[in-house]
Amino acid sequence: MIEVRDAKKWIQNGARRVEILKGITLTIPAGQFVAIVGASGSGKSTLLGLLAGLDTPSSGEIWLDGVPIHNLAEAELAAVRGRKIGFVFQSYQLIQTLTALENVLLPHELNVEGSGLAQARQLLEGVGLAERMEHYPVQLSGGEQQRVALARAFVVEPPIVMADEPTGNLDSANGRMVLDLLLERNRKSGTTLVLVTHDPEVAGMADRKIVLKDGMVVEDTLPFTAATELMLDRGVHG
Amino acid sequence: MANRALSWKRAGAIGWRDLKSAPGKFGFVVLSVAVGVAALVGVRGFSESFRKTLGIESKSLMAGDLSARMFHEPTTEDQGKIASILQKKGGGIRSTWVTETVSMASAPPDPVPLLVSLKAVDPAEYPYYGTAELEPAMTLKQALDGDSVVVAEEFLIRLNAQVGQTLRLGGRNFKIAAVLKQEPDRLTAGAGMGPRVMISQAALERTGLLAPGSRASQRLLMKFPEQIDPVVLRKEVEQALPEAQVMDFREGNPALSQGLDNATAVLSLICLVAMVLGAIGVAMAMHAHLEQRMDMLAILKAVGAGSADLLRIFLLQTLGLGLAGGVLGVAAGVGVMAALPAVFGNLLPVHAVLEFPWKSVAAGMGTGLLTTLLFCLPPLLDVRAVRPVLVLRRLVEQGPQGVGGWFARWWARRLQLGISAVVVAALGAIAWALSDSAKVGTWFAVLFTAALVVLLVMAAVALWVLRFLLNRIRLRLPSFLRHGLANLYRPGNQSAAVLAALGLGVMLILAVYLMQAALLRDLRETASPKLPNVFLIDVTTDEVAGVKEFFQRQPGVIQALDLMPGVTGRFTSLNGKTLDQLKEQHFPRRMLENAELTWADAPPAGDKVTQGKWWTNGDVAQLAVGTGVAERLHLGVGSSVELEIGGKVRALTVAAVFRADGQHLASRISFVLPSGQLKDQTTEWYGGAHIDPKQVGAMERALFAAYPTITVINLADELDRIESVVNQITFVVRFLAGFSIFAGLMILASSIASTRFRRMREAVVLKTLGATRMRIVRTFSVEFSVLGLLAGSVGVVFANILTRVLLSKLGVGFHIEWLETVVALVGTAVLATATGWIASYRILGLRPLEVLREE
Repeated sequence: MIEVRDAKKWIQNGARRVEILKGITLTIPAGQFVAIVGASGSGKSTLLGLLAGLDTPSSGEIWLDGVPIHNLAEAELAAVRGRKIGFVFQSYQLIQTLTALENVLLPHELNVEGSGLAQARQLLEGVGLAERMEHYPVQLSGGEQQRVALARAFVVEPPIVMADEPTGNLDSANGRMVLDLLLERNRKSGTTLVLVTHDPEVAGMADRKIVLKDGMVVEDTLPFTAATELMLDRGVHG
Repeated sequence: MANRALSWKRAGAIGWRDLKSAPGKFGFVVLSVAVGVAALVGVRGFSESFRKTLGIESKSLMAGDLSARMFHEPTTEDQGKIASILQKKGGGIRSTWVTETVSMASAPPDPVPLLVSLKAVDPAEYPYYGTAELEPAMTLKQALDGDSVVVAEEFLIRLNAQVGQTLRLGGRNFKIAAVLKQEPDRLTAGAGMGPRVMISQAALERTGLLAPGSRASQRLLMKFPEQIDPVVLRKEVEQALPEAQVMDFREGNPALSQGLDNATAVLSLICLVAMVLGAIGVAMAMHAHLEQRMDMLAILKAVGAGSADLLRIFLLQTLGLGLAGGVLGVAAGVGVMAALPAVFGNLLPVHAVLEFPWKSVAAGMGTGLLTTLLFCLPPLLDVRAVRPVLVLRRLVEQGPQGVGGWFARWWARRLQLGISAVVVAALGAIAWALSDSAKVGTWFAVLFTAALVVLLVMAAVALWVLRFLLNRIRLRLPSFLRHGLANLYRPGNQSAAVLAALGLGVMLILAVYLMQAALLRDLRETASPKLPNVFLIDVTTDEVAGVKEFFQRQPGVIQALDLMPGVTGRFTSLNGKTLDQLKEQHFPRRMLENAELTWADAPPAGDKVTQGKWWTNGDVAQLAVGTGVAERLHLGVGSSVELEIGGKVRALTVAAVFRADGQHLASRISFVLPSGQLKDQTTEWYGGAHIDPKQVGAMERALFAAYPTITVINLADELDRIESVVNQITFVVRFLAGFSIFAGLMILASSIASTRFRRMREAVVLKTLGATRMRIVRTFSVEFSVLGLLAGSVGVVFANILTRVLLSKLGVGFHIEWLETVVALVGTAVLATATGWIASYRILGLRPLEVLREE
């Protein structure tokens, strides 16, 4: 579970303070698929960064499975990130000098004892890249690079996956494939999925939609389809 | 039609803002230029100041207006001729003789003698210009009154003596009146053997040291009023003393000036290496910078800028960087110039008056700017190939693959290739200007380019081999090691060029060190038991029998005393040409005018006949010549020479050419005649023996007591002296070669700085995935240190090859110096790692989001 308690983020720009997040409070239960949406500059990526411990709030608290990550030292934070969170970025963020297989293997080597080679290979096969394991990122298409990034995000089997515009640089076919893989993970393994997106269609697939505007949550809803499904699941309808 | 070109002002503004956006990266670029400029300004500035000092003080450096130096005592006839010149010119001209020789001296009661450089002057006349500085302060006339001498401080230190004590010289005692701190014509004596002792002419005469045939040099000093034409007087003196080397104040010190010019030329070329490396660094940085600015270039082209406009921006930028580097280099160079006298140590007997070296600053700035601009032109011309479509999509279609594609890519870069040829030619021209020799300039450009190409190929091969191995074992390596090694192949890393540049610096510095070590080792090896370690000079014919007997009785003699006669002669013609006719051909006139001759009716020990045949009859009109001299004088078997010995000219034919081993006594003399030609002449004998080093002191004391005028040269002492000279010279060269290493490191730093964004992104991705700082440190340290190790390997391999080739030319043996090689390797790795972290340490503190948001 992720808990955010009155988190604020500002940056000091000379004498001027620019407020990016103006006091966010929310709770994301385990296994939920949350879409964070909003216009450019609304603070979506900053919120994602705080949730993932990539940045620290200027004030407020962030708790991850009962751990106050806003208080952690850098090395402890790195360990939490490494074990608990998988990341997928809009521009893939693969290490250019490592092969696809080595990129996927990297989080395992950093965070887990023993060899993750079999797992990494299996994941790459799972995302349809069995033949491209020894290729370098520069030799892969955008869609392929993003699938490598997905395999990398899943390799340590993190309970949470965070994705920042994962389909933003992809054509619709590749975007769909990536989204399906993320959703499959969310559904099958019960992984919490926090996804930042501009795309209303993608947001529509989420369990919950958090809309940000000027650094504040202006809407926190379950989309119609998801709400309907949820109600059906709970036997409200009929 | 309106002029569409971007104005220089606008181009300058865009370039300036672009520069400000990456201060770190461009900081290293500026330093790359500064390194070479600093070295060049330092060396040439020092030389410029030194030359000026020589010019300003030429009269006091000679201690007179004119000097005539000879290597025998002036005869009565010589004295008469000089007197008649003085008489003819009327009053006003003054003259005096200065005698310089070496001798043994001791400070009783300690009987240990010391080889000293002895100078005898007439204190009533000497010096005509400048002053002899004494401590306690007094005039030379006061100090050299009666039986007293002045000595250099070194004498007092080595013999533990004091002013007021006694000095024993040639069997007589003298009082040490003062310490000789400075004498104006110190330079003309060259690097003397042993501490200096100054005595009056009258006192020297009383010692009896000046026997006929002794090795003293005589210098006639003249002072004349302004109305006397120095050219006419000089001619008259040259006619009166045909064997003398005559110099007047207008020349300063030609030998020293020539030596200084040669040294400046060699050192300038070493500095040029640093400068070219710096320029390569700038070119690499500009190439990387342009790659990063593709988007900006595409946007500018999309809004109507032409290639010429873009070139203008980056040319101005390069010019600005070159200028900034030049200014910084000049400031540092003036510091180097001030430091050089300290690193030259006592090799320089006079201190240059350091002034701001305008000419050298102009040369350094000009060379720095020119090389930077020239080397940057090929990468800058790449802006012509940028397509505006990049603003819409990053990937532009690739050209054809395979051999055809390879040729097409080269053909597309034909202008760059043409400019590269111009760059090599310009490099040759710059080297020509710096060394004042077209031949040196050409060779420098050709060899430097060849060395760089070979090093680049070696570096590329080394990287390829490493990658080949890495691809086979990478998954078995620890993750940080694999990642660090893989980073060597990061796009935009230019690892091969960094390796070549750094390797070149390592090669230069190590080669200089290895040469020094090999030459010194060779010097020490000559002290083998079969070869003489003690030499005697100034032995007269009367003393020969007694000295032989002395050595037979002496304990510790391992190799018996070998004595060789020496006679001085003067060549008047070679192959039918007189010395005046040969003057144009840079023949060593002094060697011919004061030729040292010996006689032997069979090849002396250590000499091997390489051409012709040695005579069997001691009366034939023949001679044998050493190979080195034969080559220099263009003499071979059958060549005819005319030689004046004892006032009589003899026509001789070269019968044999021999190679001396450089280790036996006979190696001292290059002209050997049949005994019948020389036996009746005034002869000075040379001796050589090998004595147990522990017994040398006792032998010196006993010989000094029995034969005070014989000079002993202890090779161990000599070795120390030569070693110290070699050490000082190589220190200066190493000091300057160090600038090349620095330039190589700047290239590394610049390359690291230009890939900083990629590194930052890698570091934060790693952090995002759970990596700690330590893990990132280990990964990048592997990359930097392996780069250093590879550069070190390339450098040490080439340094050893170069040293081997050079030593074989000098006939000196070569051994691999393992310790130095390992130190160079590890040292380069440490330096590269340190430089890498200096250029990128800030990335460790970055927060992941700061970088990822920039995407």
